[in-house]
Amino acid sequence: MSAVVVEPSAAGSGNSGGSAVEIVAGGFDRRRLVTTIGVPVGAVLASLLVGAVLIAIEGSNPLAVYAEVFRGVFVENRGLRNTAIGATPLVLMGCGLAIAYRSSLYTIGAEGQYVIGAVAATAWATAGGVRDLPSPLLIVGCLVIGAIAGSAWSCISAALNTRFGTNIVISSLLLTYVGLAIMQWAIRVGIRDPESFIPASRMIGDAALPIVPGLNTHLGFVIALVVVPVLTVVMSRTRFGYRVDVLGHNPNALGANEVRESRVMFGVLGLVGALSGIAGYIQVAGVTQRINAEFSVGYGYTAILVALLGRMNLVGVLLAGLGLSGLTIGLDVAERTYDLPSSLTGLLQALIIIFVVLADAIAGRIELRRP
Amino acid sequence: MDAVLSIDTLAAGLRLALPVALAALGALLCERSGVLNLGLEGLMLCGALAGYLVTDSTGSPWVGLFAGLVIGGLCGALLGGAVVYLAANQVVAGLAFSLIAVSATTYVYEGSYDIGQSPPRIERISMPPLVILTLVVLGIVVVLLRSTLSGLVLTATGESPVAVDALGYSVQRTRLFTTIGGSALAGLGGAVLVCGPLGLFIQNVTAGRGWVALALVVFAGWKPVPCVIGAFLFGVCDAAQLRIQGTDTGVPYEVFLALPYAVTLVAMVVRGRRSRTPATLGIAFHRSTA
Repeated sequence: MSAVVVEPSAAGSGNSGGSAVEIVAGGFDRRRLVTTIGVPVGAVLASLLVGAVLIAIEGSNPLAVYAEVFRGVFVENRGLRNTAIGATPLVLMGCGLAIAYRSSLYTIGAEGQYVIGAVAATAWATAGGVRDLPSPLLIVGCLVIGAIAGSAWSCISAALNTRFGTNIVISSLLLTYVGLAIMQWAIRVGIRDPESFIPASRMIGDAALPIVPGLNTHLGFVIALVVVPVLTVVMSRTRFGYRVDVLGHNPNALGANEVRESRVMFGVLGLVGALSGIAGYIQVAGVTQRINAEFSVGYGYTAILVALLGRMNLVGVLLAGLGLSGLTIGLDVAERTYDLPSSLTGLLQALIIIFVVLADAIAGRIELRRP
Repeated sequence: MDAVLSIDTLAAGLRLALPVALAALGALLCERSGVLNLGLEGLMLCGALAGYLVTDSTGSPWVGLFAGLVIGGLCGALLGGAVVYLAANQVVAGLAFSLIAVSATTYVYEGSYDIGQSPPRIERISMPPLVILTLVVLGIVVVLLRSTLSGLVLTATGESPVAVDALGYSVQRTRLFTTIGGSALAGLGGAVLVCGPLGLFIQNVTAGRGWVALALVVFAGWKPVPCVIGAFLFGVCDAAQLRIQGTDTGVPYEVFLALPYAVTLVAMVVRGRRSRTPATLGIAFHRSTA
């Protein structure tokens, strides 16, 4: 029976780069490369095509709109900088989610961990006594606290699953709602700025991230750029990385080698939470400067899209994060110029994911037919 | 606190429970046949929008409910086709559908009225007919699962598709039709939310109720009647939360904001035992790999 359990799921996610199957086979499959790159690129093109039809229905010239998108990213004064800043939380959380999905742990609670990480780091950095510490110490402390808080929040799902067999998909999402309630309490009472009329936390102060000279973005983008190669090495060269892939393909194999499944699960979900928590702190310290009621804008959900579009490959996540962020920034400019509905961005992102899922399924189907 | 725990709160709780109960019954059918329908949140949202728009244009909320049912079924056919026949990863496909539905419904909704003009409120259905509707659906689901051949085949498909296949029933067709039916119920649930208690549509109006419904199925041990009871529990917490925001208590109101979700989580933990899960839940069937 176990063979039946494992096979189809392996066929479904068989295209994830650097998977255990590939490592075991040790070979380089050209057909796999075609699906790895062809599917996301095709999906993006297909959704831009459908988007063009929608833009035409709205009464604008699609080519002119897309030209404006391009201009908004590459020509407009702060286009590239904004793209990098917008991509930062997506890449950080997308990396964690990509690793989790490779191990078939479908957590969707990154948004909650992001908020919890931001609240914890802000609470520490704005506490009396702490806020006078030197800036580098504050930043490092915030990164650590954000990571720990996000990680702890994510590990609740792992604990419930290990102990009670609770479904991770559902528990992680329900926890997000609890996390958002905690954030609302924190900005209304807990860490509220006494001088603010509306509920908002104190300003992050010296824990704000410096602007990197040359790049012109905040330090968080550099952190995201460093995380990608580091995690790539962890995934391909360490025992932990190998076990994560094994967990995704055949959890029984872990047990047979006397590795406890639950420990790998805690590791993976803890990593997702840590990255999400860091992303939350970086967003406060690099962009919003304080937490207010509008802090949660759904980066944690878009990051799911980034992980899927990046084929659960970390370099793919970086490209997908930058691409989606650029699309958002560019469309924002184009929407204002051509008076298009602001929900168009979300719709285009949604279309991309439809095409990725469908192409993936069809590719898996063809794989299944192959003798 | 007296004002919070009153007959009014219970009635409001019942009203808020109905959409979740219908969606949970839909999810239950899908899961019994082995399909984990994570698109539930999105299906509810699509049903809600369809219910709103159709009621707005026809003036009859009952036609709106029917539209929610149909749209849910159509979306279910797409989702079912992808996960059953194309064997797409059920978690990814369902998740993707739910993410898509948020953007797609917002896009359609914003396009449905002119900017600057406030979206119209629609006529609402009073509670008794909706309670009866939910009980009728519950009755149909109970009878279907307990005393019909189709119900037996449906459950068997979730437990042992190989046996069902060997007996000459089509696993794929059973799963597709069940997904369509279950999704239609989720769509109906969304429409009930909009045409019943709310009377208007807002962006992401379902606010996680689809996920709550999925958790309730686990809480209910894949049985229809406990599903509806669990939905009522959620509804009461939800109503208490709405009421307490207006009253001054020693407890911060954020506790009550989190309460419906926290209670659902606790309920799922307390009652969720692996043993009752349909054996092949979430696993695609294909003869060559069976």
